Amino acid sequence: MSALILAGAALAYSGFAAKSLTMDRHYADIHGRGAEPSARLRRQLRSIGWLALALSFAACIAASGWHIGPVVWCGVLSIAAWCATLLLQYAPRKAVQGVWIGIPAVAALLFLAPPFN
Amino acid sequence: MKDGLRQSMAWVHTWAGLLVCWLLLLVFMGGSAAYYKHEITFWMKPELHKAADAPSTVTPAAAATLAVRELQQLAPKANAWFLDLPHERNPLIYASWTNPPKKGMTREERRAAFRTQNVTLDPMTGEKTAAPRDTRGGEFLYRLHFDLYYMSAIWGRWIVGVAAMFMLVAIVSGVITHKRIFKDFFTFRPRKGQRSWLDAHNVTAVLALPFHLMITYTGLVTLMFMYMPSPTKALYGAEQNTMFAEVFPNAERVKPAKQFAPLADIAPMLLQAERAWGQAPTRIVLTHPNDASARIVLHRPAGQQLSNIEPTMTFDGASGALLSGPKPMSATLDARGAIYGLHVAHFADALLRALFFVCGLAGTAMVATGALLWGVKERQKYAKVVAKGGRVGFGVRLVDALNIGAIAGLPIAFAAYFWANRLLPVEMASRSNAEANCFFIAWGIAAVLAQIRPTRGMWRIQLTAGAVLFAGLPLLNALTTATHLGVTLFGGPGLRPVAAFDIVVLLLGALLGWAAWWLGKPKKAAAARQPARASTARDDAVIDPKPMEAA
Repeated sequence: MSALILAGAALAYSGFAAKSLTMDRHYADIHGRGAEPSARLRRQLRSIGWLALALSFAACIAASGWHIGPVVWCGVLSIAAWCATLLLQYAPRKAVQGVWIGIPAVAALLFLAPPFN
Repeated sequence: MKDGLRQSMAWVHTWAGLLVCWLLLLVFMGGSAAYYKHEITFWMKPELHKAADAPSTVTPAAAATLAVRELQQLAPKANAWFLDLPHERNPLIYASWTNPPKKGMTREERRAAFRTQNVTLDPMTGEKTAAPRDTRGGEFLYRLHFDLYYMSAIWGRWIVGVAAMFMLVAIVSGVITHKRIFKDFFTFRPRKGQRSWLDAHNVTAVLALPFHLMITYTGLVTLMFMYMPSPTKALYGAEQNTMFAEVFPNAERVKPAKQFAPLADIAPMLLQAERAWGQAPTRIVLTHPNDASARIVLHRPAGQQLSNIEPTMTFDGASGALLSGPKPMSATLDARGAIYGLHVAHFADALLRALFFVCGLAGTAMVATGALLWGVKERQKYAKVVAKGGRVGFGVRLVDALNIGAIAGLPIAFAAYFWANRLLPVEMASRSNAEANCFFIAWGIAAVLAQIRPTRGMWRIQLTAGAVLFAGLPLLNALTTATHLGVTLFGGPGLRPVAAFDIVVLLLGALLGWAAWWLGKPKKAAAARQPARASTARDDAVIDPKPMEAA
């Protein structure tokens, strides 16, 4: 079930990275000083962020069940958030590119999670 | 509240945190280590490594049969036998027993006797392994984090309980006072003095907030009957044990029939439990073996639920019949079990355990950065005095010294404990106590040296010492045992805990070494801008290279 938890971690990262882009400071770090995301982009990123976090929760539940899964999710969220924080500071472009990691993670979730197979 | 809620909470947060932060560092470090107490104990008993190396192919039922056969030889007249069968984290069989108390034995004597009544068995043969050295292993670190040492456990628990309550207050007030909790969610700005320390404090605290809140609250709940005795007193008077007996699902107490009856074969019982649970039980308690009223209680292994109270199946020891299956528990007890279980995390598999450990380290970092932050902020008040060659105030000096002694000194103490385990003579009298003494001697030396010279140089010396001691542990292990990394990495699964221990201490050593290097690195920007101050600063414990700028 480790693969599912890994997918959960990837999705959590993806969600956090997407949400960080809705914040002026991190957006400006990447697109230059003073740049601000358009309202539409902000909305999209925010939705993607929440969706990825929700899917990350689903992955952890699929991996460890309703008892242990939420605990795993909390740990996974912390790790993902630390990764996002460090990448945003030291390699902001990579931090944004990392959002795409959510796509293979969704595929892994669909492939591995019990309800779908 | 004339200053408004946030400012008031900032005051509460600062002082609630500062007063207990050094004790909290000990609790956090010890508690984090306790997640691996079995692995630590196993590393600290190298005599057992050989038996664990053999690939274990025995089924739990076969291992239990072997263990029972051995206990029939060792303690046929015991009151009860306790068996821990091999599982993922434990490659061997641990067996212990209690004897019927002799008349006139004090409680202490009975406890001392019980400590000698245990053996480690080779799961392949059921025979005793080489006798391990006298050490408390990870159990010492586990106990240390709530019982402390050199005092009665009750005192230790009250002190730790007060510190935990302060911690809970500091967490809640910290959240209230942190007005940019969402805006600064992902923010870490290095090389900006006080700003950076605050960011680091926020990032380690906020991003693992569920863990910090959970671990502090559940820690208090584990000892709730001690901290809040009134409800029990109101209902049961002085008879607290009656409450425990009524509330907690203990195995029913059966009196021995004083009539010999041979024990039924234990293997079918394990198979029956395995069919019911999908997992073979690894913990077995046999009461009154070889008596007509013998009972065999099988515990379900942890890992399926949060609660630490696992369901059991009870068998009649003489006939082998199943007497009772898992009893349903009250919702209240189940909730308490889940809260307690969250703290001790017996349910955690390797990955989740690692997450708990990392979050524990983050908690340590949160407390450490908070303590450092106080010094960095307070020091600014003395910036002008220090620039003229004066000294910082007594409070700043004291906090600096305590910070060095706790943040850099405690890792030295932990490492010294592990070094003592390998270097003290194996035949030494009361060896396990001597190991614990080494922990506190090392810590004491570090703390005193820090008080004498709380400088940046002292930070570097102590961090370097911790780094060398930690990173040297795999080497020490290689020199004193046959199970070094070259063997354990390619050996059977039974030796994985030894390999993991060596790798983790190596990483921790590297982390401490990096911290020492980082402190010694010439701060180019700061030095270029303020050459005069850098050369005249007398008291150079300044962690922050340019405190004024951050203000």
